[in-house]
Amino acid sequence: MITIFRARTIITMNPSNPCGTHVAVRDGMILGVGTYDEVKGWGEHVIDETFSDYVIVPGFVEGHAHVMAGGMLQRPYVGFFDRPLPDGQMARGIKSYAALITRLREIDAALTDSDEQLIAEGFDPIYFPDQPRLNRHHLDQVSTTRPIFIHHANGHLATANTAMLKLNNITKDLQIEGLARDAAGEIDGELREPPAMSLCRSAFREIQRSNMTELAIQNFAALARNAGITTCTDLGGISILAPNALERWRALTIDESFPLRVAQYNLPAMPGATADFESIAKEFVKLKKSGSERLRFLGVKFVLDGSIQGFTALLNQPGYFSGEDHGQLLAVPDQLVDWMLPFHRAGLSIHMHCNGNRTQDLAIETIEALLKIAPHPDHRHTITHAQLTTQAQLRKMAKLGLCANFFTNHLWYWGDQHYEITVGPERANALEPCASALREGVSFSFHSDAGVTPLGPLHTMWCAVNRVTPKGRVLGPLERITPAQALKAATIDAAYQLHLDHEVGSLEAGKQADFAVLHDDPLAVEPMVIRDIKVWGTVLGGRVFKAA
Amino acid sequence: MIAFTVIGGYLGAGKTTLLNHFLTQSSGRRFGVLINDFGAINIDAELIASRGETTITLTNGCICCSLADGFLNAVDQLLALETPPEHIVVEASGVAEVNQLAQYGHLPGLFLDGVLVVVDVETLLEKVNDRYVGQTVRRQINSADLVILNKVDLIDPSVLKACFEWLKQAHPKVRVVSSVRCELPLPVLAGQPMHERRSEFLFPEHAHYTSWNHVLNDPVTREQLEFFAEGLDATVIRAKGTSGGPSGSGLQLQVVGRRVQITSMNNVGLGTRLVAIGLAGQIDTRSLDALAAQSFGGAR
Ligand SMILES: [Zn+2]
Repeated sequence: MITIFRARTIITMNPSNPCGTHVAVRDGMILGVGTYDEVKGWGEHVIDETFSDYVIVPGFVEGHAHVMAGGMLQRPYVGFFDRPLPDGQMARGIKSYAALITRLREIDAALTDSDEQLIAEGFDPIYFPDQPRLNRHHLDQVSTTRPIFIHHANGHLATANTAMLKLNNITKDLQIEGLARDAAGEIDGELREPPAMSLCRSAFREIQRSNMTELAIQNFAALARNAGITTCTDLGGISILAPNALERWRALTIDESFPLRVAQYNLPAMPGATADFESIAKEFVKLKKSGSERLRFLGVKFVLDGSIQGFTALLNQPGYFSGEDHGQLLAVPDQLVDWMLPFHRAGLSIHMHCNGNRTQDLAIETIEALLKIAPHPDHRHTITHAQLTTQAQLRKMAKLGLCANFFTNHLWYWGDQHYEITVGPERANALEPCASALREGVSFSFHSDAGVTPLGPLHTMWCAVNRVTPKGRVLGPLERITPAQALKAATIDAAYQLHLDHEVGSLEAGKQADFAVLHDDPLAVEPMVIRDIKVWGTVLGGRVFKAA
Repeated sequence: MIAFTVIGGYLGAGKTTLLNHFLTQSSGRRFGVLINDFGAINIDAELIASRGETTITLTNGCICCSLADGFLNAVDQLLALETPPEHIVVEASGVAEVNQLAQYGHLPGLFLDGVLVVVDVETLLEKVNDRYVGQTVRRQINSADLVILNKVDLIDPSVLKACFEWLKQAHPKVRVVSSVRCELPLPVLAGQPMHERRSEFLFPEHAHYTSWNHVLNDPVTREQLEFFAEGLDATVIRAKGTSGGPSGSGLQLQVVGRRVQITSMNNVGLGTRLVAIGLAGQIDTRSLDALAAQSFGGAR
């Protein structure tokens, strides 16, 4: 059975056939894109007019996200910026402590079980520099009886109210360093780093557990669908570390109504830890072979350092602009070649989390060493985040065939903080250097790192095109790229990075009928409104999925 | 309360060797050892009683547990055992922030017995200036209660001297012991269990270490114990003590390197007992006598 979808415009990202109005699909596969006359000859067909007022682009490919994006939204969101929810609603950003308390009071009132703990997500103290740190007294204004735990956006901090502290017997004689105290030495409710956070065992466990639930995966897929994504990585999956999570993934993605292709890059071990990587790589190969239509196991993720805004990324000189340097490498440099070699030899693609450019030097050196030991002409190993990539690094990456996956959303979400606090003006202007990567010939894509920032390729594109911050700065105008270049990075180039560009990422005969259906043409609208384009939904392998 | 020890140090320093000492020379104490990589730890097959997916149980009652599923899960797994270990030892990865791991030793039910950082004397001066791991290695040393300068048999004495000097200059407060293959007596590595009986205060004879003992018939105050602990100099690697009144309740003192912990405890015998361990030939028993007299002047 052939369906011909008619659209206002179809942008294919296929350079030899860039646009059309009709796309013919049989059994989930594209037969051709062009005018009606060009595609009607494939045989008996029905014409689907659903998208005749809309714009079809290739289904977006998100190169770095986490199922956590869906896991965390099982709980209320109280972050600074608006956040789309799986049901299509928008959680409005919280701009003041008063608004936070009001929101939490509403949530408290809506809970029927008086003992139920209230855990909320996404608060970030970096946006409240003029306020005292959030403490238990703020949260006690919400409730003195219900235990409350506010999990901060960076994952390293939390704030508990007095009832939560009491519930977990957290008293001031505990000596854990991360237990923040007021001037009188009393516990103030802020818990820094996992050892202190884990004192609130009930909340901590709930957060850990929630990323492995069915609902987390369904939320994740719904968020992706709502954003026009048809192929999404779970970059840093735990299917090797926690095989029971894997069964859940398989069970859900086997169903044709699951609206997403998931590309899982698993962690081989806890970040920084040594392990028997030789035999783990063998498990990866087995896992890769067991992939299915909507669940692929393409490679391995190594987390090599921390974050810039957490001051835990390892930076080259001149280091951080202000704040104390806690740069931390999460790998043993003398062993990194040995750690990665089994994966490289097995033909698995390696994605390396590098936020700091010193870490990135190590990643580049390591890949160079691997390539000398075991040539692999088409490895497409990728440096993900790659935020502070220098010109010298780009030149070297181009030579080695390394891809970059830029965290362009940082330009908006933390751009002002990078300019003013973390790395200073020059390097903030050079963050996510897309134009330079184009010039130097480094293939790149963008990412949201969801749930760190929301899934939304139109937003990551918008950042790359405009490089605007909330305070109205344009960070590094010379690194801006065109909407067409941005769309390429969000579709076919992201697919290339995942070794999936022969299947998805562009609309070409023989490829998957994976579309993002948009209300407007991202290449024709004012660049500043790209992120406001509404997503109608997606088509995945010819099946239509309407956004919530 | 379960004692908690963190073993840190960069790759190749000898962390695993040290762990093996805990496991094989446990002197009857049940250690629970948390490690990243089972493969790396070389346990005599005869010592293995049983092997599970994430644990290996030894015939001497010690147990190894994998950290693959995260730190908290591993600790909880040990705590949930029918007979939990008396002492948990965690092997940090080569680049771990040991101070952060050490904080888990303050979780309810645990107490931090010490942070041991093993350093390869052959590479120390190179690693502390390494562009990738220099900061990490320095932070590890700075977080150590006790630095174990390992592999001293392999090195030219002048290099050893340079290492000691660098440590003294860069980290003046850190206590350092040198070792060959991490061979250190258990009482240097681990504090004694809480339910201590008098007989266990005796320090086994050892070529390189010696102990100083002090007994008073009366209890002393927390302030007096604090004064005593603060007065200990760098030649004292560990010290411990108990002090109890007629009711049986009293105090316990644990010192490892710079770390001083005084806790209340029950079932302490009447009187005060103190022991300090240090390097033979270095520890100055006369000045310790003087410190005790000064600290506990009134008590006898
Ligand atoms: Zn990530």
